[in-house]
Amino acid sequence: MNDPAHLRVSAEAEAAQFPPLLARAEHLAGSVLLGEHGRRRAGLGDNFWQYRPAQLGDSRRMIDHRRSARGDIEYVREREWQIAQSVMIWIDRGASMQFHSDDNLPTKGNRARLLGLALSILLVRGGERVGLTGTTLPPRRGNQQILRLAEYLATHDEADYAPPEHRAMIPSARAVFISDFLGPLDEVRLALSKAADRGVRGCMYQVLDPTEEAFPFKGRTIFESMGGTLSHETLKAGDLRDRYLERLAARKAELTELCALAGWQFSTHHTDHSAQAGLLWLYRAMGVSA
Amino acid sequence: MMGLGSIGFTAPWLLLALIALPILWLILRAVPPAPIRRRFPGVALLLGLGDDDTVTDRTPWWLLLLRLLAVAALIVGLAGPVLNSQERMTRSDTPILVIVDGSWAGAPGWQRARAAILGRLDVAVQLRRPVGLLNLSDPAPVTFQPAQRVAERLAAMEPNPWQPGPTMLNAARDQLQGLPEFDTVWLSDGLDYAGRGELLALAQERGTIQVLQGDTAVVGLRPATYEEGEVRLSAIRSDGAGATTMNILAQGRDPAGNPAVLERGEITFGAGDRVASLSLTLPDEIRDRVTHFSVDGTQSTGATTLVADSLRRVEVALIASQGDREALQLLSPLHYVGEALSGKVDLLDLSLNEALPANPDAVLLADVAILAPQEQEALQAWVEDGGMLIRFAGPRVAASDISRDTEDPLMPVRLRLGGRSVGGAMSWGEPKGLADFAEDSPFVGLDVPADVTVTAQVLAQPGPELSDRVIAQLTDGTPVVTRKPVGLGQVVLFHVTANAEWSNLPLSVLFIDMLERLMGVSDDNATVTATSGDTWQAVRVLDGTGSFAKADALAGVSDATMSAGEFGPAFPPGVYQRDRQTVSRNALEKDDTLEPATWPATVAVTGLDGPVQRPLGGPLLAAALVLLMADILASLALSGRLTGARAAAGLIALALMLPPLPAQAQDAEEEFALNATSDVVLAHVMTGNDTVDDIAQAGLRGLSDALFFRTSVEPAEPIGVNLETDELAFFPMLYWPITPEQPRPSAEAYAKLNEYLRSGGLILFDTRDADITSLSASSPNARKLQQLAAPLDVPRLEKVPNDHVLTRTFYLLQDFPGRHTGRDVWVEAAPPDVEAIEGMPFRNLNDNVTPVVIGSNDWAAAWAVNQSGAALLPIGRGFSGERQRELAYRFGINLVMHVLTGNYKSDQVHVPALLDRLGQ
Repeated sequence: MNDPAHLRVSAEAEAAQFPPLLARAEHLAGSVLLGEHGRRRAGLGDNFWQYRPAQLGDSRRMIDHRRSARGDIEYVREREWQIAQSVMIWIDRGASMQFHSDDNLPTKGNRARLLGLALSILLVRGGERVGLTGTTLPPRRGNQQILRLAEYLATHDEADYAPPEHRAMIPSARAVFISDFLGPLDEVRLALSKAADRGVRGCMYQVLDPTEEAFPFKGRTIFESMGGTLSHETLKAGDLRDRYLERLAARKAELTELCALAGWQFSTHHTDHSAQAGLLWLYRAMGVSA
Repeated sequence: MMGLGSIGFTAPWLLLALIALPILWLILRAVPPAPIRRRFPGVALLLGLGDDDTVTDRTPWWLLLLRLLAVAALIVGLAGPVLNSQERMTRSDTPILVIVDGSWAGAPGWQRARAAILGRLDVAVQLRRPVGLLNLSDPAPVTFQPAQRVAERLAAMEPNPWQPGPTMLNAARDQLQGLPEFDTVWLSDGLDYAGRGELLALAQERGTIQVLQGDTAVVGLRPATYEEGEVRLSAIRSDGAGATTMNILAQGRDPAGNPAVLERGEITFGAGDRVASLSLTLPDEIRDRVTHFSVDGTQSTGATTLVADSLRRVEVALIASQGDREALQLLSPLHYVGEALSGKVDLLDLSLNEALPANPDAVLLADVAILAPQEQEALQAWVEDGGMLIRFAGPRVAASDISRDTEDPLMPVRLRLGGRSVGGAMSWGEPKGLADFAEDSPFVGLDVPADVTVTAQVLAQPGPELSDRVIAQLTDGTPVVTRKPVGLGQVVLFHVTANAEWSNLPLSVLFIDMLERLMGVSDDNATVTATSGDTWQAVRVLDGTGSFAKADALAGVSDATMSAGEFGPAFPPGVYQRDRQTVSRNALEKDDTLEPATWPATVAVTGLDGPVQRPLGGPLLAAALVLLMADILASLALSGRLTGARAAAGLIALALMLPPLPAQAQDAEEEFALNATSDVVLAHVMTGNDTVDDIAQAGLRGLSDALFFRTSVEPAEPIGVNLETDELAFFPMLYWPITPEQPRPSAEAYAKLNEYLRSGGLILFDTRDADITSLSASSPNARKLQQLAAPLDVPRLEKVPNDHVLTRTFYLLQDFPGRHTGRDVWVEAAPPDVEAIEGMPFRNLNDNVTPVVIGSNDWAAAWAVNQSGAALLPIGRGFSGERQRELAYRFGINLVMHVLTGNYKSDQVHVPALLDRLGQ
């Protein structure tokens, strides 16, 4: 899964099942870097661009009946895309994301990368500019960007819990944070406040392993973090379950609250669920105005 | 061996290890279960969470208990506990002497008794004590041997049909006196007999003594008597316990000659009674066929009483000369004869022509000289067929010319003219008395009263053969009774009248005795006087269980032995015959009682069903293993390592160790019928012995497979058949392995079996012991086979002839080996008149399937395969063994083919067609 080519193939496969995603640009003027209308290609806009034959996945409402009535083929009227949005993605590459409770389940990191890249592909197809937060990979268009993303995502971070990258956020752009959010919350809070300051909206997607939700442990146990920096010994793991679950719920609630304050969306994804479900949520979160 | 109540230990010192258990408790308690290390990103959320209680850092008490129990079970199991260990039998060098009464009284409980004594011997084997065996009913020199050897001898021992007699006890006492110190185990039959106390005292002198004795009363049957038209029977028992009712069976042969129960009656002992009696009224025809009475369900010689002729009624036709009808009754020539015989025989008062077709045992002619030619002819034919003609002289005979010049065929001697009279008013001399009877006379042994005199008689013509024919004579040597054999029968002439006219002989008791002797009316239980060197031939004899044993191998029994009355190997209870006289000698005589054996208080008496000793080591070790498994599961559960899959695996492992639940019996008859009929199915009879049944099942499976592979017969999985409940008609063939313990089928089951045989079924009997004996009666299996097969409708048998169709139904075979290679296999005999046709290789034999095949080669063992089709048991050695197995399969295939195709392969009609086809 860490092989960039493989990751991209999987991501393409996931993305192929969705029609092109067009991120909605709220603040049109601020985000358009090219500065001009008319992107010389089909997209969301007011000007006629071209008629093209209806394809699978086009909704019926998109069919232009005036043109279609002239022949046997149904046509879709496309308009020239006039705007582009910048989307910045942050995917947690920390050691905690390397966890998976069962050999049959992917690691959280894998699932997060898959979701992030699939979302990127959808966005790129929609003509959006996609990049990473921070200065490593600023948003760009085109398939090349997908490759670069895949390559970057294949690397790991050694730290147990990686803090969200919040530097060099483009104002009024969109952002997606995918992580397990089990690390210190202060960093998250900081990142969100910075994003809110710059008018960046987006979503936070928490990817968790099922055991992290269920805590099915019993007996005398020493719990260690993936990097080994943290450890906790208990004699009766079963007794900890309720308190652990309380804490987890509290954290989720706090994240939800933070997101709500910043105008973001928050949800949780489990690795034992299908990646499609996760991608669908991300797709909708990016498509709907937050 | 150290004892703890009824539990003993073979290695008691190991129990010391139990002291270590408390230490183990402390150690285990101090060591908590090891922690498990887990990688878990959520640990960040756990930081700071403390444990509520800290008790579990020690092993929980129940886990400790579990482990201690496991260790304790292990220690105790290794110490070799034995439940009900025989405390009396201790480790020592003193030999053990097993004394067995071995009489018929123990026959009903013999299997149990043998099992009990074998149980003791098992202990002796463990203790390596030498064992000797002394059978009081058949004492042989005692040798002390390893216990296994004695166990083998005991296994082959059967109860004898007699009680230990004085001679045997003397021999036994001599044996005991010659022995050094020994400990005694005495297997008592529960009956007292003279001389037992003496032996007991001897045994007590030599060492400890332990008595095994069954708790059931011994039941016996006294000889049957016939009085006043009823058969009187009385049963006796050895204890006067509660009221009980027993069935008495009158057994004999049915008109077809098969053994059958002719009549049954109930005999009821009141509480405390030791004698009970029963009167049976039997029709003459039935009564004549009774061979013995027995107590139903009690198989012993004592509970069986043989009848010889005592119940048979002799029929005698009395014929007098015509006329004189109006004469006084006392002058009637037949009056005294009739009186003498009345009550003992059935008298036919018919004319000769009417009486002869009724085939009486004897015809009595009183002073009849001339017979009509037709009567003469009929009478002569009857005599030659074995009739007994008794004639009396008289005035008419004396006056007639009968047998005067030439000997009349129906007269034993020629008669002189006129006869003579002595001691009368007109003659000289005294009336003559009778001389004592000669040795060869049938009347030998009868007392001659001095007052019997003869005043007139007809005289015999002297001749060379006269002296042979005289069986009674007067003091002056003139014959008074003569006899001559005619054909199979004989003619006897009393040279005096049948009434008191010529002699007062008819008035005497002697006359009655003489007539009875002549007519074979004999008292069964007549005492035999040791007079002559005559021998008695056994007609049928009993074995210990009250069944008939082979009589023809016995040498004749001399008068002396007979009169001494002590039974023994040469003189078992049975029916004996000499000339025309038949007597029965039963184990119990008329006034016998059964006295229970009592033992002094110092002697330990245990019942046969005494607790069987049972080694407990195995179950305990298994329990320890199960506990340890449970401990593994519990430890895993405690330390949180018990995931679902592991739990399932553990539970399955635990479940496998538990004894399997008995499979639910399928009693749906319909299902059975469907299983049995949807395909050809081979079946075997369930014997109740698991090993034998399993082998039979596996054997038939192997045979079915072989049939499937090689022939167009494609049988389904074989079925074990319960003769009592299952329908037999579905099966082409039944394989019936014989075990000595299997129960006898009920009458209904026999009816079903006979029906099965008549409708074309085949039973393959297998005594499985050809390595020991070849179907002789000397093996327990063969004896059992005889008992089992006796009520079956089995035709005459012969060894498989070379041209029997079994030798070529599928394969060409000469031998029929199984696991053994015995040669004797018996099938229905061919009709005696079948000859081989010229040019044909075989005779045209039976036109049907032989209903039984009897052998002892243990075929099932040779056929047996396991579920995967590999041979189950080794046969022979190496390649020749495999060849033998192949031949066994071929025999099986031939047999099934024979059953399914009948005589097809011996049907000459097809020979031309077959030859024609071969030519192509």
